[in-house]
Amino acid sequence: MTVERRGWRVRLLTLWLPLAVAMFFALFPFYWMAITSLKTNQELYSRKVMPLIVHNPTLKHYVDLLTETSFLEWTWNTLLVAVISTAISLILGAMLAYPLARLRFAGAAMVSFAIAATYLVPQPLLFVPLADLINRLGLNDTLTSVILTYPTLLIPFCAWLLMGYFRTVPVELEDAARIDGASRLQTLVRIVLPLCGPGFISAGIFAFTLAQNEFLYALIFLTKTEVRTVPVGAIAELVRGDVFYWGQLMAAALLGSIPVAIIYSFFVEHYVAGLTAGGVKG
Amino acid sequence: MALGSRQSRRDVLKLTAYSTAGALLGAPAVRAQTKSLTMMHESSFVPPYDAFFKNKLAAAYEKEKGIKVNYEVVSVGSLLTRVTTAAENASGPDMTAIGFNWAFLFDDKFVDVSDIAAEIGKESGGWYESAQESVVVNGKWKAIPFGNIGQLMNWRTDWFKQAGYDKFPETWDELLEAGIKLKKAGHPFGFELGHGFGDNHGWLYPLLWSYGAREVEADGKTIVIDSDETARAVDYCRRLYKETMVEDCLGWTDVNNNKAFLSEQISCTNNAESILWAAKKDFPEMAKVIDQSENPKGPKGRFHMLNPLCHSIFTHTKDQKASKDFLRWLMAPAQAGPWLDIAVTYYQPFLHKYDDAPMWKVEPRNLPYRDALKTAHLPGWPAPLSRAQSESVAKFVVVDMFAKACAGKSTKEVIADAAAQLKQIYRAT
Repeated sequence: MTVERRGWRVRLLTLWLPLAVAMFFALFPFYWMAITSLKTNQELYSRKVMPLIVHNPTLKHYVDLLTETSFLEWTWNTLLVAVISTAISLILGAMLAYPLARLRFAGAAMVSFAIAATYLVPQPLLFVPLADLINRLGLNDTLTSVILTYPTLLIPFCAWLLMGYFRTVPVELEDAARIDGASRLQTLVRIVLPLCGPGFISAGIFAFTLAQNEFLYALIFLTKTEVRTVPVGAIAELVRGDVFYWGQLMAAALLGSIPVAIIYSFFVEHYVAGLTAGGVKG
Repeated sequence: MALGSRQSRRDVLKLTAYSTAGALLGAPAVRAQTKSLTMMHESSFVPPYDAFFKNKLAAAYEKEKGIKVNYEVVSVGSLLTRVTTAAENASGPDMTAIGFNWAFLFDDKFVDVSDIAAEIGKESGGWYESAQESVVVNGKWKAIPFGNIGQLMNWRTDWFKQAGYDKFPETWDELLEAGIKLKKAGHPFGFELGHGFGDNHGWLYPLLWSYGAREVEADGKTIVIDSDETARAVDYCRRLYKETMVEDCLGWTDVNNNKAFLSEQISCTNNAESILWAAKKDFPEMAKVIDQSENPKGPKGRFHMLNPLCHSIFTHTKDQKASKDFLRWLMAPAQAGPWLDIAVTYYQPFLHKYDDAPMWKVEPRNLPYRDALKTAHLPGWPAPLSRAQSESVAKFVVVDMFAKACAGKSTKEVIADAAAQLKQIYRAT
């Protein structure tokens, strides 16, 4: 009995308490966003009421966001851009990562270094030349402009993550496939890729989130309201001078985070497996 | 140029003859009729202001001249990035809103509009002198000034009255005295001392100037920040902070003082019209006891911040004349008047025609913004426009000098730091 009680206490102190603290830090921003989006402006600015609960809940900020701005259009644009650019980046990233992880060829180290260097080049250095390219291609104010430019950030990122993951697949499996007559491409498609699902999921979620949150290129290339993404649209319409429309901004942030939360909840187990494999073993 | 197979030699000769005759008679060069123009603006604090351009002005111009005018709105704080991209790539909008010293920064990318500036000035009672400070580069107008987004003292009349003040203090010393009383009564001041974009510069540069101090002389080379006048301004600021303000304003940005004022945490701050505007919308009772006044006087006078909104034409525009014609049309009283009216003095016009315009009667508490135009200057004044001026603002040299003193550093130390930074900045550019 005593041992059981002690075990319970130890478990509380070593597992549940740290978990509760971690949960609090992780979820508090969402809670704050949610209650801010439900408060009236009067309540938001009042110092006389307890700020951690909503006293007079209202959906006005959500209604205003959905009726007075083009939020739904921005959300559609964001999803479209993020999904397509993530797909392009995963395919090209895998094609880049596999040879670097598996094949020995002259200049492999240089290519690896170049990928890392590309990823590290800050966006502010690239936006002017990229804007020139987009302009020459006549793609200003089209979603294609960002669909084509986001992979410049995402491919190096996906390639690095996938390289680590490809290296965890036993080379003997590939050798066996080669002995059985599979070509290098067949080995990749039929043996390696199916084993790397978790790696693809984690790279995909990260890439999707990066594409969804990207601001600078979207700001430069997308100027018309109807082609904006959520980050640029929300800032353009809901921040005016030194006045922030806090309620609507928080409503937009909360609604904007839902797609990632849904995707994440479906793939969370694979995602964690992918991260640990890529991070520890790679 | 390849000719169509059906054109005869006679047709070619006719065309050549007509073209030569046209050129000799001084007929305008043959060019494609401009069908549309694009104007770029940062999203306005006053939403109807943007809507008025899109729905009324653009529609009226299209009806009158047959040219469609697109109004491209970029988010707050993003305009400089967009202007840079358009200027560097020589593509994008034909015209843009600009601020601060951008007319200088993009001098070779903007069209000389001196001719229409003269016409507009003549038509509308003449320009305020301060209007020229930010747009005239090497004697040429590189933008048409539209309005100033002024910064004034925003204060609570009810709390000041309780402390014995019916009027806003005339001098910085009187303001300090009032602030001490108000802080004791539980109504401290709160002035931005952090790295925001406007409300910090909005009172610290005027404070510096009102004590007779400057960053740099009018020659744009001699650094004069290390002076007794600067030391007195810094000492004053330290006292104002310690004896009248809430502590956390050292880390404030432009949003924080609005929030503190509207949540009744502070009784006085320096801000644009946005506090009164937001109070009228969401806190009507509080709005009744808010007033706005010019900055207090220092030993060398009263000063304000110049924060101009102007319009420039990019040199890459395909038809400079069409853009000039549009700006000329836009600034005529029939168009500029209603556009200024819709913003209810948020943009204080730089043309004397509007000095007694009806818009000032809509909210008489905004009148000091008009009067402040006479004593308004850009950061870096009295030096001419320069890149160093931008760098000093971007590095918050003056703001940090005051803020570090408030945080506890000695006056001598903070001035030495600022002087060293300014010498490096002005030497390097």
